[in-house]
Amino acid sequence: MARVLRYLSQAVLYAAFVAAIGYLSTSPTYVHLPPDEALIKLSFSHAAARKEACHERTPEELAKLAPNMRAQTVCPRERVPVTVEVVLDGEPLFRVVAPPSGMAKDGASTVYRRVAVPSGTHRIAARLSDMPDGTFDHRAETTVALPPGHVLVIDFDAGKGGFLFRS
Amino acid sequence: MLKLVQRAGQWLFLHVERFFNHTFGEENNPLYHLGSITYFLFWIVLATGLYLYVFFKTGVDEAYASVEHLTTAQWYLGGVMRSLHRYASDGIVLGMLLHLGRHFVFDHYRSFRWFSWISGVVVLWLVYISGINGYMLPWDRLAQFVTVGTAEWLDWLPLFNGTLIRNFIFEGAVNDRLFSLLSFLHIGLALGMLALLWVHTQRVPGAKTTPPRPIMAWLGASLVVLSLLTPAMSQGPADLATVPATVALDWYYLPIFPLFYRWSPGQVWLLVGATTLIVVLLPWLPPRLRRYKEAFHLMIRPDNRIVAAREGETLLESALRDGIVFPFDCRNGGCGVCKCTILHGSVDHGVHQTEVLTAEEKAAGKALACCATPSSDLELEYVPVRPLSGIVVARHRARVASMARLADDVMRVRLELPADDALRYRAGQYINILLADGEKRSFSFATAPHETGGIELQIRHIPGGRFTTHVFTEMKVGESVEFEGPLGSFFLREDSDKPMIFVAGATGFAPVKSMLEHAFHVGFKRRMVLYWGVRSKADLYLAELPAKWAAEHPNFTFVPVLSEPKPEDHWTGRTGLVHEAILQDYPDLSAHQIYACGSVGMVEAAHPAFAAHGLSQDDCFSDAFKLAPHVARRTKDADLVLLGGRAANG
Repeated sequence: MARVLRYLSQAVLYAAFVAAIGYLSTSPTYVHLPPDEALIKLSFSHAAARKEACHERTPEELAKLAPNMRAQTVCPRERVPVTVEVVLDGEPLFRVVAPPSGMAKDGASTVYRRVAVPSGTHRIAARLSDMPDGTFDHRAETTVALPPGHVLVIDFDAGKGGFLFRS
Repeated sequence: MLKLVQRAGQWLFLHVERFFNHTFGEENNPLYHLGSITYFLFWIVLATGLYLYVFFKTGVDEAYASVEHLTTAQWYLGGVMRSLHRYASDGIVLGMLLHLGRHFVFDHYRSFRWFSWISGVVVLWLVYISGINGYMLPWDRLAQFVTVGTAEWLDWLPLFNGTLIRNFIFEGAVNDRLFSLLSFLHIGLALGMLALLWVHTQRVPGAKTTPPRPIMAWLGASLVVLSLLTPAMSQGPADLATVPATVALDWYYLPIFPLFYRWSPGQVWLLVGATTLIVVLLPWLPPRLRRYKEAFHLMIRPDNRIVAAREGETLLESALRDGIVFPFDCRNGGCGVCKCTILHGSVDHGVHQTEVLTAEEKAAGKALACCATPSSDLELEYVPVRPLSGIVVARHRARVASMARLADDVMRVRLELPADDALRYRAGQYINILLADGEKRSFSFATAPHETGGIELQIRHIPGGRFTTHVFTEMKVGESVEFEGPLGSFFLREDSDKPMIFVAGATGFAPVKSMLEHAFHVGFKRRMVLYWGVRSKADLYLAELPAKWAAEHPNFTFVPVLSEPKPEDHWTGRTGLVHEAILQDYPDLSAHQIYACGSVGMVEAAHPAFAAHGLSQDDCFSDAFKLAPHVARRTKDADLVLLGGRAANG
C-alpha cells in the first residue's frame, strides 16, 4: 500500500512538472496588438546625394600631393543625411534624420520605425529630403483604410517614383 | 544581501529536496540529478529534431505546410515528436535554470568552479538562441512574431541599424533560402551546444550525464502523455501583411519578446547584457584581494593517498579529481552514500539533510564527503565499493629471488611471487613490507608494471634500522617476505602532453626507474629529463642505466647532480642542490610536469621553489609535498615516508 501511494505521489509530482512545462509553453497568451489597432511601419534604405559636388583641384592643391595622387577631379564621398517626415491625419507621426552608413559616411541611410494606430481610414502625407540644401524633394500623400491588425508599410524607392504605401 | 538570498534559497531547496526524498527516494530524487536530466532532455530534443528534419521542407510555403502535415496527418508519431521536441526543449530551460540556481544558492560557483559556471552560462545562451531560432522554422504566426521581433531587436544594434527588418517587411521579402539558413543554424547551434556541454561536464570529476533509469522512465512517459494531451500546434500561417495580434507564447524561451514593445529594444539589450555580465562575474563577486590557493591536504584511506584540496573543494571532489573511486550518488548531501570517517583534522560539514548526518554522527567523526570541506589537513577513511582500475590493494607473500649490492649502502632485492599471484600496480607505486610485529616498511617498485619475473626493490641501509640492517646482514635468497600493496598516488600520469622532469634524490631513483621504464615501454614521445641528486659519485649506484636510456631514447636526458663531490670523484658535471640545477635549466616551469621523489627534506625544499617558478600544483607529483605534521609523524605506511627505502627508522 505504501509503495502504491509512493508511486502515486511520484506520478502526481511528475504530472505537476510536465503540467508546468505544458502551461507556460503556450500560456498565458500575449496580446501583441489590441484588437482595434493597426500598425504603420516606416522602412526604407536610401542613399542621399553627396554632401559636396565634384570639383577640380587647383595647381597649388595638386602640387601639395604626392605625384601618384594628383588626380585633377576630386569627388568627396560623404552623403547628406536623409530626413523624412510622416504626417497622419494632420498630426506629425514620424520625423527621422537618418545619417548615412559606413565609415566614410557614403552609404545608404536606413530607417525603421513602427507605431500602432487606431484602425480605420487615415490620411497620410510623407516627405523626404536627400539633398544638401535640405529641401524636401520627394512628397506623397494617400488615404488608406487600415482594418484592425493590418500593417501599412511606408517604403521609399527613388527608382520607383519615391514613396510606396503598401498594405 | 547575497548571503541572505543564498540562505533563503538553501532553505527552500533543502525543504523541497527532503520532501522529494520521501517521495522518490534519495537515489531517484530529480533535484539531485538536474544536470543529467538536462542531458537526457537534450537527447530527446536531438532525436526528435532529427525525425522532424526528415519531413521539414525549407520553403516559404512548404515550411508551414510540411509542419502542419506532420502534426495533423501523422499526429501519432510526427505530432508526438514535434510536441516532445518542444516540451523537452522547455524542460531543458527549466532544468538548466534549476541547476544553475542550485549551484548559486549553495555557493558552488567560485574558485576553481568558475570554468563550469562560465561554460554553463554560455550553454544557456546557446540554448536560448537555438530555441528562439527553432520557433522561426514552422513559419506560423508565432514564427512571424518571433522572427520580426528578433529582427527588430537586432536592428537596434549599430551593426544592423534597421537593415535586418527589410527582409521581413513585405510578404515577398521572405524567400526559401531563409529556411535553409535557419535549419542549418538550428542544427549547428545544437551541435555547438553538445560540444560545449561536453567541455562543461569534463571539468567536473565524476560528473554523471545520465539520470537514474526510473527518472528517465517517469520523465519520458510524462512528456509523451503531455504531448498526446496537449500537442504542440501551429498558430496559423505567417502573413506579413497583418500583425499576429495575439500569440500563444512559450514563456520559457520568449519572455523578453513582449519587453521589446513594452520597453524598447535598447532597454532590453541593457537588461540582457547587464544580467549576463553580472552572472558571468558572479564567481568573482564580491572581489577578493588574495588569490585562491591550494587549501589543505587529505590523507585518504584505505588508498593511503595524499590529495591536495583546492579552496572550497569538497572532500569528494578532491578525491574524485585525483582518481580515487570514492563512493557517491546524489552529491548533494541527501543520500549518505559518501559518508566517511574523519580520523584526524576538522571539516566544515556544509549544508546537507540533517537526518542523513546527525549531530551524534558528526561528534563521532563522520562527514558527508560531498558537502564537507576541509578546515585543516585531514586524514579520512571511506569504505571502498570497487577497486581502482582493477588494481587491488592486498596482502602478498613472496620469496627473495636474488640480492645484489648496487653500492655500499644500497641493496637490490628481487622478490618473486607465486605463479597464481598476479600483482598489478602502477609505475611509481610502493609496497609495505610487513614485519612480524606488525610494523611496516615502505619501498617503491623499481620495476615497471609490464615486467615479469618478480619485482625489484632498492633498499638503502639505514644505520641502526631494524629491517634494513636485517637486509644487509641476515637476509638470504629464498627468505619469505610478506607485504601489502600496491599503494600510493605517486604514479605516472599519462593524460598530459607536457614535458616531464623527474627529480630523484638518492634511492628516490627506484620509483623513477619504474616510471621511466614504463614510459619507454609504452612509447612516450614526451620530452623527459631525469635529475638525479646525490652527495658523491659513489651514490649514483646505477648511473650507467639512465646514461644508456639517454643514448637509446632521443626524448630523454639524464643530468646527475652531486651536492658534495669528493676530490677522487674528479667530477666535472653539475654540482649543488638538485632542485637549484633544475631551476637554472628551467626558469619557467609553467609548461612542465615534475615528478619528485627523495627525502622529505629535498621535496619540501624543492616544492616552493618550483611553485615560485610557475609550476602548477596539478603538475607537481610527490606525496611528500606539504604534509600535515601529524601524518608524517603517525603513519608509517603513508606515501610520504620511506619512498625509495628512505626509512626514518629503517
